[in-house]
Amino acid sequence: MKTGSTFCALLLAIALLGMAPAVSMADHHEEVSNPDLKCLKCHSKNLKKKLEDGEKMSLRIEVEEFETSVHRVIGCTGCHRDVAKGKHPSKQPIASRRAYSLKHNQTCSQCHEAVHDAYKGSVHASMVEHGDVSAPICSDCHSAHAIQPRTVYEPVNGEPCSSCHTDINEAFAQSVHGLARSEGNLLRGDHVKAPSCADCHNAHDISAVTDTQYLVPTCINCHEVAELAHEQWLPNAAMHLKSVGCAACHSPQAELRVDLQLYDRLKQAPVRQNENNGTVQETLAAIDTNGDGLDPIELWKLIRQINDQEPDIDVTLLGRLEVTNSVDAHRLAASTEAVRSCENCHRSDAEPFQNVTVSMSRKDGRKESFKADRRVLNSAMSVDSVGGFYAPGGTRIKLLDWLLVLALLGGLAVPIGHIALGKALRKKQETDKK
Amino acid sequence: MTPSESTQGPNRQQPERVYLHAMPVRIWHWANALGFLVLIATGFQIRYVDLFSLMSFETAVHVHNWAGFAVIANWFLWFFYYISSDKITNYHADLDAGNFFKRYFHQIEYYSQGIFKGEKKPHDVNPHDKFNPMQKLTYQFVMFITAPITFFTGLMMWDVARFQGLINAVGGIRVVNTVHVLMFILFVFFILLHAYMGMLGPKPSSHYKEMFTGWEEPHD
Repeated sequence: MKTGSTFCALLLAIALLGMAPAVSMADHHEEVSNPDLKCLKCHSKNLKKKLEDGEKMSLRIEVEEFETSVHRVIGCTGCHRDVAKGKHPSKQPIASRRAYSLKHNQTCSQCHEAVHDAYKGSVHASMVEHGDVSAPICSDCHSAHAIQPRTVYEPVNGEPCSSCHTDINEAFAQSVHGLARSEGNLLRGDHVKAPSCADCHNAHDISAVTDTQYLVPTCINCHEVAELAHEQWLPNAAMHLKSVGCAACHSPQAELRVDLQLYDRLKQAPVRQNENNGTVQETLAAIDTNGDGLDPIELWKLIRQINDQEPDIDVTLLGRLEVTNSVDAHRLAASTEAVRSCENCHRSDAEPFQNVTVSMSRKDGRKESFKADRRVLNSAMSVDSVGGFYAPGGTRIKLLDWLLVLALLGGLAVPIGHIALGKALRKKQETDKK
Repeated sequence: MTPSESTQGPNRQQPERVYLHAMPVRIWHWANALGFLVLIATGFQIRYVDLFSLMSFETAVHVHNWAGFAVIANWFLWFFYYISSDKITNYHADLDAGNFFKRYFHQIEYYSQGIFKGEKKPHDVNPHDKFNPMQKLTYQFVMFITAPITFFTGLMMWDVARFQGLINAVGGIRVVNTVHVLMFILFVFFILLHAYMGMLGPKPSSHYKEMFTGWEEPHD
C-alpha cells in the first residue's frame, strides 16, 4: 500500500513538474539531453522508494553530477533499458539497495564487456559471489550516476579504493610512493611515475595478494634493476626475492612474521578452502585441539590429513617472510632506509621467526592465517612438513645442534680417552715390572 | 701380487725413508685442510650467528661460498692426480673383505694397546699403499661419499633458485640443508680425530712433518 501511495505521489510530482515550462530546466542543464529532462523532472526531486527489506532508497539524481558524468551522452535509458514511453518500473519491487546495484552490475557489462570480464576474475567479484555484502561492485567505485573519466581515478587521495581501504591509503600517503605523488611525482629531484593503487593491483582484475606471488613481479615491473641490484650483494638473491616480500625489508618499521602457506604442488597454487568444508579457522582449529597454536606434530598431521582426504592434491607448506598486516605492506620507505642487515632475520631469536602462522586461502581467494607454535620451524619433523622453507638461524633444527655438540665432545673425548688409556697402560706396565 | 700384499706382514721391513706424498698431494692436502677449516668456521658463523661474531653473516656467507668452490676445485685436483697416476692403488678397495677387516681390527688393537707398548705398527707403508685399513676405509668414505654429498648439497644451497628442480626432486630445501649439516657434523668429528691421529707417529710432529716434506721418516 505504501508503494502505491509513493507511486501516487510520484505521479503528482510528475504532473506538477509537467506544468512547469520545460525550457527552464533546459536553461539550467543545457548539457543534459532532452529525453533525459523528462526523467529528471521527477528524479531531481527527493523521491524515495520503499524496498522489500524495509529500507527507503532515494530516487533523486544530482543533476550537476550527472552533467559531469561520462555517461551523460548515453542518457538515462542507456542503462535503464527497462524504461520506455509508457513503461516505467516504478511498481516493480526491489529487494534491497544491494540487490538493485547487483542487477545493474550486469547492465555495465553490456557495454564494458572486457572490463567486466576482468572484474569477474577479481577478488572483489569472488567476495561478491561468496555473499560478502561489503564487496565492491561497479557502482561502489564508479558511483551510479556521477561516473568520472579514467583520468580522475589517479588521484593522490586514493579514491575510490580509499573509501574501503582507509588505513592502507593513509599508510600509502606517507610511503615513498605516496609522498612522491603528493609532491608532483618528484623523488630526490628526479621526475618519477610513482604508482597509485591500480598500478600495482590493477583496476578491475584485482587478485588476492596470496595468488599474485605477493606482487614481487609487479614491483620489479617498475624497479627493473631491482633483481640485478640485489644480486650485487645479497646471496641467493633470486630465492630471497621469491620467499621474502619486498615490504619485509623495504618497510623497515613493519612487524614481520613467517607465514607457512598451504600450497598445492600439483596445481602450483595456494590451497583453497574446500567448498564442502567449514571455514579456514574451523579446519585448523579442529587440528589444534588444545587451542595454543599448531605444534610440530599437529602441523604434520594437518598436511597428512589434507593429502589423505583429497586425492588430487599434493600439499606442502610454502614459507614466506612477510609483513604481518597489509597496512605495513604499503608503508614503503626509500631504498636507502631498507633493512640490509642479514642478522635481522638470520639470528635464531630474530623477531620474524617468533611469529609463525599457517595460512590457507579462503573460498574467495583471500588468505586467512592461523597461529602456529614457533617450534614448527625447529623441530626435526619440519624437514618433512615444512620441507620448502629454510632460513639459516631461524629454522635451525635443535636435534642437529645436539648432534654437533655430541660430535665436538666425541672429537675431544676420543683423544682424551686415548691419552688416558695410554697413561693407564704404561702405569700398569711399570707396576707389573716392579 | 697387489701392492697391499707385497708390503704387509710382520716380516716386512720398513724402508729407511719412504717418499709417500707427492707434491700435488701435499698441496691438495693443505689446501683442503685450510679450506675445510674456513668452511667449518664460516659454517659455524652462518648457523650460529646469535652465538658467534667472528665476522658478519654476509661476509661469512660470501667466504663460505668461495671456500666451497675452492674445495670442490681442489677435490678435482686430487681426483685427477690419483686417477691419472699409479698411486690410485691407495684408494682401491680390498676385495678380500675378510682379510681387510682382520687387519682393520688388528689396527684398532694396535691403537688401543700396541702403540702404548712400543709394538711395531701393523701396516708398513709404501707410496702405493700408504693407508692402514682404518685410514683407507675412512678416506674412501670421506673422499667418495661425504665430500661429494657436501659439495652437491652446498652447491644447491648456494643458488636455491637455480637448482630448485633438483632440490624439489630430493625432497626440498630442508632435506638438502639437513643433509649438508649432517655432513658438516661428520667433518667436525673427522677433523678433530684426524688432527689427533696425526700425532700418533714416532713423534707427535712426525706425520705433520711428512705432509710438508713428503718423506716418512724411519720408525723405531
